[in-house]
Amino acid sequence: MIEFENVSASYDGELPILRDVSFRIPDGDFVAFVGTNGAGKSTTMRLVNGLLKPSSGQVLIDGVPTTQLRTSQLAAKVGFLFQNPDRQICCSTVREELLFGFRAQGRADAEAEAKVDAMIERFGFDGDAEPFLLNRGTRQLLALASIIVMEPPVVVLDEPTTGLDFRECAKVMDVIAELNARGTTVIMVCHDMEVVADYAKRVIAMTAGQVVADGETFAVLRDRDVLARTHLLPPQVVDVSLRLVEDGAVAAASPVALADTLDEMTDALAAAAGACERTGVR
Amino acid sequence: MIEISQLSFRYREGAEPILQGIDLTIPDGSFVGITGAAGSGKSTLTYAFNGIIPHCYPGDFYGSVTIDGLDTCEASLTDISRLVGSVCQDIDSQMVSSVVEDEVLYGLENFGVPKDQVEGRIAEALDAMGISDLRHRGIAELSGGQKQKVAVASVIALKPRVLVLDEPTAELDPASSLAVFELLARYARENGTTVIVVEQKIALLSDFADMLLIVDGGKVRFQGTPSEVLEHSDELLEIGVNCPRSTSLVNRLRARGLVDAPAARNVDEAVRACKQVLSGKGVSA
Repeated sequence: MIEFENVSASYDGELPILRDVSFRIPDGDFVAFVGTNGAGKSTTMRLVNGLLKPSSGQVLIDGVPTTQLRTSQLAAKVGFLFQNPDRQICCSTVREELLFGFRAQGRADAEAEAKVDAMIERFGFDGDAEPFLLNRGTRQLLALASIIVMEPPVVVLDEPTTGLDFRECAKVMDVIAELNARGTTVIMVCHDMEVVADYAKRVIAMTAGQVVADGETFAVLRDRDVLARTHLLPPQVVDVSLRLVEDGAVAAASPVALADTLDEMTDALAAAAGACERTGVR
Repeated sequence: MIEISQLSFRYREGAEPILQGIDLTIPDGSFVGITGAAGSGKSTLTYAFNGIIPHCYPGDFYGSVTIDGLDTCEASLTDISRLVGSVCQDIDSQMVSSVVEDEVLYGLENFGVPKDQVEGRIAEALDAMGISDLRHRGIAELSGGQKQKVAVASVIALKPRVLVLDEPTAELDPASSLAVFELLARYARENGTTVIVVEQKIALLSDFADMLLIVDGGKVRFQGTPSEVLEHSDELLEIGVNCPRSTSLVNRLRARGLVDAPAARNVDEAVRACKQVLSGKGVSA
């Protein structure tokens, strides 16, 4: 369980970046933080893994304030994927990169080697490859693999799909979804509302260092007021359904108005068209 | 006018050509969107427009690229850069100054722009990108979106005929990404500048571009208006390009025989097609 209790934070001790933020993330949740650049999302991520400590209030990891946890203790509980994998990758081979975390914690034993081998096989990596010669998507996957090989109960991902093409994005997100399905808590900052809609269970929307909405993914992404306050665009299917209701083309409780996904919307429209035909509109 | 004829290029260290037999004509004032999977050759294609190949990256260059009649193989990089302005993928690697005003001034001084024109050019470029208020700010204290606009302003101050941008919104939030595209489109329209943008966010390209190029395996696989290209959503998916959801929605409705509208470029067009379906007028009798 991760708890933020009235957290404020600042980098220079003066300008508050986060102001009185409170939320709870239970084990196994999959939360996306959304909002514009500068809303305080990345600062929130740094508070979760203890890179930054609150200037007031407290951040609790399993009931213990981050101010009372050593960096190594926090690292064992919270894995952190940077937005740019090149800020994370530091070893000369893929295998060394995957072993890095174990070495840092003094646990590079036979069990660690076995976990690294399994990870290399699972992702289809070449263990002897030079990380910086891999393409951007593979470097992102390597950075992610080097986090999850340590099996932290919580992973924090700062824009994990930035700069990736569609296939690379799906590959990275499928790995994250699988982790979550096995019980890992996932906390992600993401600008791509289609990715948020496809994967997150819950959305926390921020603006100007404060939380303006916290709820089930589509409840937040369908809230025009929240979208306007956070300068977000809804996923396109949601936008279409909201617009059809706003223009009076469908009733607010109709299946078309409630369709969140491409499949749901296509089926709802096909059913509505069928009803139209039966009642002789055409 | 940009004309590319039978362009192939292989990096010196590369086993295979990264571009293969590309033919392309881009009329003046076009807004061209280029996308494709990672490693498809789209960034290298932009290097052909701004002369980075063959002038900076050694390799085997075949065919020809001309910008307003200037052959990029024969012209110097300096001459090409007077016609073609480029904004890199990594903005921080492009910035050379610590203050916004100096960043815009840097290119103008290098190009020997007469002193009496400098002030007007700086003010005009900052205004076009909507960042006049940032003129005296330090670059280090700007957000990603603001830096992106400074990078574009520094290039448009030079009044290039062609503007080439490689993933200009990669690190920006949706609102800032949209703002950058709106500013680019308005600038291009008002000045007749050709804009060429490489971008993974296909929803932005399909909404703003009047020509869309899909690059795959070093070749232009699809080329046309966004509506023409997006008709091929299934084939695009096979080569790692996902259409906007609004496009996929209308393509699915058409596949079910519910509507005969063209591929939707954006939410507005999808809403229009959905209303036709709902009113029972999706397919003409």
